[in-house]
Amino acid sequence: MLDTSLLSLVTLLPAAGALVLAVLPARPAALHRWLALGLSLVVFILSLAVWFRFDPDVPSFQLQEQLSWIPQYGISYHIGVDGISLLLVMLTTLLIPVVILASWSSIDAHVKGFHISLLLLTTGMIGAFVALDLFLFYVFWELMLIPMYFIIGVWGGPRRIYAAVKFVLFTMVGSLLMLVAILYLAWYHQLSTGAWSYDYLALATTAPRIALAGLWSPQALLFLAFGLAFAIKVPMFPFHTWLPDAHVEAPTGGSIILAGVLLKLGTYGFLRFNRTLFPAAWDFFVPLIVVLAVIGILYGALVAMVQPDIKKLVAYSSVSHLGYVMLGLAAGTVASTQGAILQMVNHGLSTGALFLLVGVVYERRHTRMIADYGGIAGIVPAYTGIFLLVTLSSIGLPGLNGFVGEFLILAGSWKVFPVAVVFAGLGIIVGAVYMLWMFQRVFWNPLVHDENRTLTDVNPRELLALAPLVVLIVWIGVHPTTFLSPMEAAVRSLLG
Amino acid sequence: MLIPSPTDLTSIAPEIVLAVAAGVLLLVEAFLPGLRRLLAPITIAASLIAAWARFHFPLPGVVWGGLLSIDRVAAFVDLYILAAVLLTAWMSGAFLRRNDVDRGEFYSLLLLAAIGAMVMAASVDALTLFLGLELLSIPLYVLNGFLRGHAISIEAGLKYFVVGAFASAFVVYGFALMYGMAGSTRLEAMGQTVVDAGGLSPLMAIGLAMVVGGLGFKLALFPFHAWAPDVYQGGPTPVTAFLSVVPKGAALVALLRVVDGLDLLRLSPHWVTAAGIIAVASMTLGNIVAIVQRDIKRMLAYSGIAHMGYAMVAIIVAGIDGGAAVLVYLAAYTLMNVGAFAVVALLSEREDEPHLISELAGQGWTRPIAAFALTLCLVSLAGVPPLIGFTGKFVVFRAAVNHGFVWLAVLGVLNSLISAFYYLRVVYVMYMQPLPRRAPVFPSERSVAAVAVVAALGVVLLGVFPMPILEAAHRAILDLVR
Repeated sequence: MLDTSLLSLVTLLPAAGALVLAVLPARPAALHRWLALGLSLVVFILSLAVWFRFDPDVPSFQLQEQLSWIPQYGISYHIGVDGISLLLVMLTTLLIPVVILASWSSIDAHVKGFHISLLLLTTGMIGAFVALDLFLFYVFWELMLIPMYFIIGVWGGPRRIYAAVKFVLFTMVGSLLMLVAILYLAWYHQLSTGAWSYDYLALATTAPRIALAGLWSPQALLFLAFGLAFAIKVPMFPFHTWLPDAHVEAPTGGSIILAGVLLKLGTYGFLRFNRTLFPAAWDFFVPLIVVLAVIGILYGALVAMVQPDIKKLVAYSSVSHLGYVMLGLAAGTVASTQGAILQMVNHGLSTGALFLLVGVVYERRHTRMIADYGGIAGIVPAYTGIFLLVTLSSIGLPGLNGFVGEFLILAGSWKVFPVAVVFAGLGIIVGAVYMLWMFQRVFWNPLVHDENRTLTDVNPRELLALAPLVVLIVWIGVHPTTFLSPMEAAVRSLLG
Repeated sequence: MLIPSPTDLTSIAPEIVLAVAAGVLLLVEAFLPGLRRLLAPITIAASLIAAWARFHFPLPGVVWGGLLSIDRVAAFVDLYILAAVLLTAWMSGAFLRRNDVDRGEFYSLLLLAAIGAMVMAASVDALTLFLGLELLSIPLYVLNGFLRGHAISIEAGLKYFVVGAFASAFVVYGFALMYGMAGSTRLEAMGQTVVDAGGLSPLMAIGLAMVVGGLGFKLALFPFHAWAPDVYQGGPTPVTAFLSVVPKGAALVALLRVVDGLDLLRLSPHWVTAAGIIAVASMTLGNIVAIVQRDIKRMLAYSGIAHMGYAMVAIIVAGIDGGAAVLVYLAAYTLMNVGAFAVVALLSEREDEPHLISELAGQGWTRPIAAFALTLCLVSLAGVPPLIGFTGKFVVFRAAVNHGFVWLAVLGVLNSLISAFYYLRVVYVMYMQPLPRRAPVFPSERSVAAVAVVAALGVVLLGVFPMPILEAAHRAILDLVR
């Protein structure tokens, strides 16, 4: 069983765990924390097994599983990983225990409900990465919606309701139109082959044949229907307005998940579905994507610069960082695409770590305003060191992960979109400015608030949560091949 | 003079079982009032026996000299009507005792209404269709006013009666016109007349419009929806649950039978326009007005208007895909709605006051099971996978896309978006607002909670494994679509 359904186990075990938690009594709360942590570690170990079973030289989908589900419509439970989704699955399974550790003491109300939501969300995220049937993909995609609504809405900050509802409505606008597009693809497949199918591999053979002639032709509209869902998730300018609200109001764990994984589903969707299913429309819309990506890079960076709230600053920096990913995907060279995928992982690690770090001081001081800190470097040295490392990773210091991703993206895109690369390069400079400026104001300026004198340094639990992120930040920076080589074959085959 | 054959009799065995039980219930009430506690169990047993009878006896097709068609469609509808009867009766006992109206008439009327719905759904003749409609409606007039002490309930009964009488008049007058043109009360003959003429003659069109309008009243479709919010709000909650699914199911299937024979998609260009406007307007109006409702029963009434708009999309598509979609949608809608109303019945202090959504504040954590069941039902109504509401919408929109009605599918999904807003608002109140200082005292009746749990389980299980229901619907519709 372990042999043939390893991937299903990784995908569905969290949901099964959520069911177990659901029937257990709500107290003691620690029971739910430990159970969820144990379960998430098991899932991570299982995903490691996937990693080692994965053959990096094979470009196609591996560890595939296919079970009949709704045969009369051609819908099946079909999952599998290639080098691209593998990395993102690993990122997800790694971040879940981190999130549980990060929420250990900050979530003290309705602990059971929090972990149930988190585990259901995990299944949704992993499932969306591994689904090879568009119906199944849609189910997993929407499965993430309600748990995230709860995580933001129940355990979030003061304006949590507004943020949660905005998150849900924004996400749903896109995904519902995507549903119609999926239905259309299946119908078209039936029209051209005579068989019903929602299978990704089958649709990838027929969907590119759909007519494209200008903006109002079927392929362009389908592209937009999928693209809107993903552009909102990424989020690309101008669909980003839900993100700062959701990030700021979500509890620390929720922010880590949002930035670390949920946003990646958008960029992943562009690569996996928009590019493969609608190649002609992709070429048609690439200029638009590049323009929006560059606007996102600069706009996100400039807005981040003026944020008084650290968390909001990090949130806007996400808009900027994801702009690079979209640029790399749009350029479509092997290097830029690999860089984009690696940058998805990097952003998950760095931004995840940043949110975690913000959560650490927030838990002690209950403020995230830059102005409320200053000069704390001497009081919390270990915290300062880690924060500095993550800041440098985020701005792309050579030797750390961010550099590798950004370099590959910019170098790979140079030949295709030189002007865009110049502007994106500007964004890197602005990025360094706002991050370092924030760092300076929080850690180095004179110590003016006496409350900060009693700040305590990171405790062992927080250190344990940060450790894997820090290790990977350095690892990817020093030896990126570990992570680039598994995806290379898949990227080459995807780019054709 | 029609002499029923044995097949005729066995084909309506479920109806006979229910009729006998309806009589027994009245006798128990009259002569053995001490056994009132058995009223609900008797009703439940009757619905189970009727369901067994539906499975046990073969489905002969057209019987009673062409008045009824006991085919797989009828069987499908019967089963979900019986399921609705069972769940309603199950939650009624505790509810009626709490309100001091635990009477045999209630259950008896419930069963009579169910018979009416079953007859209506199986009718292939205008006469039996009308007969079924009346048999369904008249008990419901009484049931809606069953909480005699409460003005709001009486108002509901009266309103439903006045509007229902109108609807019946519409239907009967429409059929009269169609009969005038076709010279026969058989739906098939009416359809044949239209097909032979190559289109709708003016009188036929007026007749059809009146029938659709009359059935539209029962479905609470725009512009025939105005009664729904008041009636939903005022009626006893178990009756509202029943009212929200059974008449709608029967009327939809009746509509399917009327429309299917006419081949309207091909013969009448105006049909799609008219029905499309009704569908889209119902969805949009229902969803938008639901947003501002403060009473959860009124909100569910408007949501019901919207849902019948979605179902209407499937009626427009017609054919095998559309017909199957109607059946699947009905089954899905029944489970979600009965589950939601069961929780409403459970989380309600007094029946003569509005069931304010705000009163549910904090219940998510104090009444976890009921609140979670309601959450599942509402999220499913919003069409989020992997719940059965998504299956229903998927099948409807799939049918629409496959038959060139992409615009209806797009308008439908955009409407789902609006609906997510108000469904999730209830979830928000339950989980994200604190318990008020004076927390309302809600009853904790196990039977009502059980209904909610059963419905919620169905919502989840049939959502994840929709095969049985999809297959049954597809097989059933092959009996109807020619």
